[in-house]
Amino acid sequence: MRAAIETTGLTKAYGSVTAVSDLSLRIDPGQVFGFLGPNGAGKSTTIRMLMTLQRPTSGRAALLGMDSATDSVEIHRRTGYLPGDLELFPRLTGRQHIAWFARSRGGVDDSFVRDLLERFLVVADRPVRELSKGNRQKIGLILACMHKPELLILDEPSAGLDPLMHHEFESLLRETAAEGRTVFLSSHELDEVQRTADRIAIIRAGKVVAEDTVEGLRRAAPQKMEVRFRHPVNPAALRAVSGVRVTESAGRRIALDVTGEIGPVLKVIARHDPIDLTSRPADLDELFLDFYRTSPAKETTHAG
Amino acid sequence: MLADIIRLDLRLRRRSTIGYAAGMAIYALVVVALYPSFKNQTSLDSLSGSTAAALFGVTGKLTSSGGWLNANIYSNFFPLIMLALTIGYGATSLAGQDESGTLALVVALPMRRRAILFQKLFAMAIQALVLAAATTVCAVIGQGFQLTVPTGDLSAIALALMLMGLDFGLVSMAIGAATGRRGTALGIASALAAASYLISTLATTIPRIGPGRYLSLFYWSVGNDQIAKGVSLADFIVLVIVGFCALLTALIAFRRADLN
Repeated sequence: MRAAIETTGLTKAYGSVTAVSDLSLRIDPGQVFGFLGPNGAGKSTTIRMLMTLQRPTSGRAALLGMDSATDSVEIHRRTGYLPGDLELFPRLTGRQHIAWFARSRGGVDDSFVRDLLERFLVVADRPVRELSKGNRQKIGLILACMHKPELLILDEPSAGLDPLMHHEFESLLRETAAEGRTVFLSSHELDEVQRTADRIAIIRAGKVVAEDTVEGLRRAAPQKMEVRFRHPVNPAALRAVSGVRVTESAGRRIALDVTGEIGPVLKVIARHDPIDLTSRPADLDELFLDFYRTSPAKETTHAG
Repeated sequence: MLADIIRLDLRLRRRSTIGYAAGMAIYALVVVALYPSFKNQTSLDSLSGSTAAALFGVTGKLTSSGGWLNANIYSNFFPLIMLALTIGYGATSLAGQDESGTLALVVALPMRRRAILFQKLFAMAIQALVLAAATTVCAVIGQGFQLTVPTGDLSAIALALMLMGLDFGLVSMAIGAATGRRGTALGIASALAAASYLISTLATTIPRIGPGRYLSLFYWSVGNDQIAKGVSLADFIVLVIVGFCALLTALIAFRRADLN
């Protein structure tokens, strides 16, 4: 199957600063793909390279089977794009924006645009400079979606949307994917992405540190273990066990993250006279924060 | 579609285009209407010849038709307004729109960057043409106020000034595309235009600067007494070639530009 997006060793450096490093992704058609990372991780730079707004320092990207370096016009024809920190022309109204972009694309389905305007309760007849951030964002979403593109590339699409609109936006994404079209969206909010995305890539300091389905990421999450001992225990003994990370140590109480089998660590614990032990899988939030905090060297990719 | 960006940018610049044209037209009308009152005050002619007068673009006989129009419109205010318009638009159209974040939406449309830039050049030319036409119409009205410069010459000099404006506008566009900064584009293009003006005007009284005037686009549009002698083919050729080089530079810079 031809990938909707395929990048190979995509890299962008500004002078000595590498914003995106050796990014290789494959996104199948009909998916909602979440691209997750903290601010400044390289999400927008990656997206700008996909949209050919910026040229990669090395590597390549293919969208809908076309090379982004040579086929940008055709790619743009079949792609919808919502920039991060969307800015519109302040003096024009939403409707003027929509009319102009629709015309530039050689016309769009008017009834679909009317639907979108109604669904998102867009204030379309006032200059956008008078509109709230959320309203401008909704106009940006319509500009990206209105020509029913095969591929939607959305940079922080839900920024400024209220909860009701979040919900509407998520159903729009699901409908898009159900029609076999592909959505690539970036976000720094896990919550939003895990509700909508089929697969997730987590990017940190320009590198993909994890790529998997939401379920797969959950499975890979470490056990969060908390042990109380009768006497104070030196955590060094536990640290020595492979797959164990001591996250908190307060004399008689020690908290651990355990990846892999728990047998070896239980043996060590047993030797130190434990009186209480709780263990639960890390939720995705903790895993996500973990990916952000730990060194980029800790890379995991799981098959989906 | 073909002319969409022209329409968009003209819409965005509508107020400033009308403002520039209306302002220049009113000023030009006042200047031509005042001519009969100054025509016979030949003492004014002694003003020219000094370096200070040259700095303001005053050369030749101030009370002659050509001298009056030159000193009051064609060698100073008209090019100044023309350059403000073209350099301003040149800097805004790429770097300014990129800085404000709107250019990304336009570049993500199914259109080559080359086509986008050509449309922006057209939009700039139309704005410049509105200004040139408004000024020319008012100068021609001056024929009813005893001014004798023929309509053809007035049109030719307006066209030459428009070409000079487009040249500097394209330089501003190219710098904007290369640096992504509107301020830098405005600054450098304005500095080049100011230097060009100074060289051309001072060359008339300071012999040492004389040969330098060939480097000045003002010399090739108004600085060589075109109002009396007419704009030559050589003048047009130089203005067009410079514009072509600036356009080529802008195209290369924009094709390579990393946008936001």
